[in-house]
Amino acid sequence: MTTDSPPDRPIVLSGWSAASPFGLGAEAFTEGLTAGHAATAPLDREHWDGPYDTAGLIPDFTVAGVLGRKGTRALDRSTGIALATVGLLLDQYDGELGADPEDIGLVLGIGATSVQSIMDFSRASQAGERPYDVDPALFPNTVQNRATGAGAIRYGLKGPNTTISGGSLTSLLALNYAVRMHRQGHGRVFLCGAVEEYSAQRARLEWHGGGPGGGGAPGPLGEGCAVFLTETAAGARAAGRQPLATVLGSRFLAFHAPGAVGATLARAVTEVLAAAGATAADVRVIAPGEAPGPLGAQEEAGLDRALGTAGTAGTAPVRLRVRRLLGDTGAASAGFQLAAVLSLARTQPQPDGALALVTSVSPAGTVGCTLLRLEHPAAD
Amino acid sequence: MTTVDPTRGRRVVLTGLGLVSAIGIGVDAFASGLRAGASGVKPITAFDTAGFAYANAGEITDFDPAEHLRTVRPEDLGRASQFSAAAARMAFEDSGLDRERLLAARTVVAVGTTDGETRDLDALVGRQIAEGPEQVDPVLARRVGNEQLSAGIVRELGLVDVEAATVPTACAAGNYAVGYGYDAIRLGDADLALCGGADALCRKTFAGFYRLGTIAPEVCRPFDVNRQGILTGEGAGILLMESLDSALARGARIYAEVLGYGLTCDAQHPVAPDEDSIARCIRIAQRNAGVTPDQVDFISAHGTGTKANDITESRAIRRVFGERPPATVSIKSMIGHSMGAASAIAAAACAIALTERFIPPTVNHVETDPEIGLDVVPNVARPADLRVVQNNALAFGGNNAVLLLGAAPAAA
Repeated sequence: MTTDSPPDRPIVLSGWSAASPFGLGAEAFTEGLTAGHAATAPLDREHWDGPYDTAGLIPDFTVAGVLGRKGTRALDRSTGIALATVGLLLDQYDGELGADPEDIGLVLGIGATSVQSIMDFSRASQAGERPYDVDPALFPNTVQNRATGAGAIRYGLKGPNTTISGGSLTSLLALNYAVRMHRQGHGRVFLCGAVEEYSAQRARLEWHGGGPGGGGAPGPLGEGCAVFLTETAAGARAAGRQPLATVLGSRFLAFHAPGAVGATLARAVTEVLAAAGATAADVRVIAPGEAPGPLGAQEEAGLDRALGTAGTAGTAPVRLRVRRLLGDTGAASAGFQLAAVLSLARTQPQPDGALALVTSVSPAGTVGCTLLRLEHPAAD
Repeated sequence: MTTVDPTRGRRVVLTGLGLVSAIGIGVDAFASGLRAGASGVKPITAFDTAGFAYANAGEITDFDPAEHLRTVRPEDLGRASQFSAAAARMAFEDSGLDRERLLAARTVVAVGTTDGETRDLDALVGRQIAEGPEQVDPVLARRVGNEQLSAGIVRELGLVDVEAATVPTACAAGNYAVGYGYDAIRLGDADLALCGGADALCRKTFAGFYRLGTIAPEVCRPFDVNRQGILTGEGAGILLMESLDSALARGARIYAEVLGYGLTCDAQHPVAPDEDSIARCIRIAQRNAGVTPDQVDFISAHGTGTKANDITESRAIRRVFGERPPATVSIKSMIGHSMGAASAIAAAACAIALTERFIPPTVNHVETDPEIGLDVVPNVARPADLRVVQNNALAFGGNNAVLLLGAAPAAA
C-alpha cells in the first residue's frame, strides 16, 4: 500500500466476542456452531410467561451473576447482555486497546431490547396508585441508548457512542456505520455490535404481530449480543492484533412488494461484489438471515440468482445457518451470522482471498448484505 | 488522535426541510412561528393526565397524517413514524427535486429518536392492564419496531436504492442522524440523504421526567433564573441533504451548508451532563467543520430549561468561547423538548435563521440567571446577518452531538 488516505483505508475486524444461547464468549459460540445443535430449549414457565414455550436464551444469564452486584441493580437484561459481551471482548486485550479513550467509540445496534423495560415502566404509571409511582432508577432503561451509554461508562469509552436500529439488518447497519466513522476519521478503534434480549413483552409483540404482513409464522426467539473490534489494518498491526477479516463493503436496498425480495437481494449482492472488484466465484462462505416463510425463500432465490447455483459439488460455498440454531435473535441476528463466519474461518481455514457474504431481509421492507475478505494469520 | 479533515470530500448542503412542530407544520409555518416567538405549549391531551399536578407539553393538535401521506396508510404507522414520513414528504417537496431524480439517487435515510413508538407501547400496556397480558393488538404490535421510523419514509417515498437506519441516541439523536447523512454524502456513499428525528408525546416519558422533578409546571424558561424544568414535546424535522455540486447543477435553493459535526460520550453518568465532555464535543465539531469559535454567530443550545442542563451547558460554552460567547438561544422555550426530534428541528431552525437572517428568540424569558450570563435573545427575534451557526444536542447516556451549519455558498 502506498496510498493510505482515509476513505481508501481498509477497515478490518480484528476481534470479536459473543454472548449467545451457546454460552458466554467466542469459544462457546464457535463450539456450539461446530457441534450444530440447536440452542433453543423449553422455557422455564415459572420465570417466563408469554406465548412461547421455547426460546434461545443465554444459559443461566442474570445481570448480577455475570457483572456482579455492584452498580448493576438498575440495569435491565439487554443492557447486562451488552455490557457482558463488550467486557468479554475487552478481556481479550486485558482492557487495553492501545488507543486514547477519546478515540474509542461504541456502536451498538438494538431492536426490541427495551420494550420490556418501557412497558414495565408504563405499567407502573398506569396501574400505580399515582401516575408518577415509577422507579426513577429504572427510567434510563426506558431510553433506548441505555446499553450503549452504560457500556461507555463501565469501560471508559469516550469516543462516538451511537445506537442504531434497523430490524434484522441492524448489525450490518451498525458495522457499516462504524466503518464510515473510521473512513471519516471520527475515531481510531470502534467496538461495534448489536444486542437483543428475550422478554415476555418482546415475545408477545412478535407473536401477535406475526402472520400476514408481520413476517410469517413466528419461530422461536433467541437473544444475545455479538461485538466486533473494528480498526484500520495498519492500526491493528501497530497494536499487535491480527486482522480476521477486511470489510469490503455493504449494500442496502428496499423492496415494495413481497415478490421483489429475491431480485432486490440479488441486486445488492451483485453490486457489493462489483464495487469490491470481486466475482461470485470468490464467495466461499455465505451466512443468510433465514427469515421465516416467503422472505427467507426469496433470500435464497436471490442468493442463487446473484451467485449462481454453485457449480460442482466440493466448490459450493459453505452455507452457515445460524438462525435455526439460535432462534430469531432480532437486532443481533446478522451479528451472529458475522460471528459464525469468523468462527468457521478459525475452525476450517478458507483459501487465500476467500470472501464471505452476510445477508439479511427485514419484514420492514429492507435488505442488506456485507462482504468480507477472510484474512489469514500472518506468518511469523 | 484521529481527526476529520474538513477539506476532504464533497461539500454537503441542505436543500429541503420538512417540519412537524407545535408551532407550525411545514417550513413556512414553522419559520413564521420561530420569527414570532410563538408558543406551542398547551395542556396535554395525548394521554390521561389525572393525578399529575400539572401536565403541559408542546403537543401537536393540528396534525392530520392523511393530509401529508400519499403512499402509506396512516394506520400502518405509529405517531412518531407518521411524523417522520410526513416530514420527509415535505422535505422532498420543499427541495424541488423531481421524482425520477429522487428514485435514481443513492439515498440514506436516518431518523433519530428517543422513544420510537412508545406511544403505542403505552396503549398496548393499557389494554393488557384492562384485559390481560395476551390481549395485544396485532396492528400496533407490527408498527412499534424502531425500524419503522426510517422504513416508513422509504415506503412513503417509494425509495429503492436506500440505506435506512433509525438512530435511537435519545435527545441528541437528530444531530446524530444529520451527521450520518452528512458523512455518507461527503464520502460519496450517497447522493441524497433524508435525515432528522421524530418523537411522539408519550405517558412513559412524561411520568419519568415528572418523577425526577424535571417537568416545569407551566412554561419552559431556558437560562432564566426562575426556570423550573423541561416541558416534553413532539414532532419531526427531516432535512434533505445533497452535495453542493448536485444542488448547484440543478439550481436548487440552498438553505445552508453542513460544515461538520462532532460526537463525544461523557462515560460518566447515565443522566447528568458533563461539562468537560460537552466542551470537547464543541471543539471537535468546530475542528471537523473547519471553523473557529470567533466565527460562530449564534448557538442553538440544547437548553432544556433544567437547572443542571443550563448551568452545565453554559459553562461548557464559556470554556470554548471565552467570556463573551455568541448569542445562545433555546427553541425548546417555544416547542418544548421534542426528544429525538429536538436537535433535528433545531437544525432546521438554524438553516431558516441563516436564510431569513434572524436569530430565533428564547421566549418566556424574564431574567437571565446571573450564573449563566448569556445573551439569550430574550422573547423577540433579532435580525442578523449570519455566516456560521452551531446546534448543540446532549442526551441521556452522555451522548453529545454538535452540528455546525454555514450560510449557503454563493453560486459559482
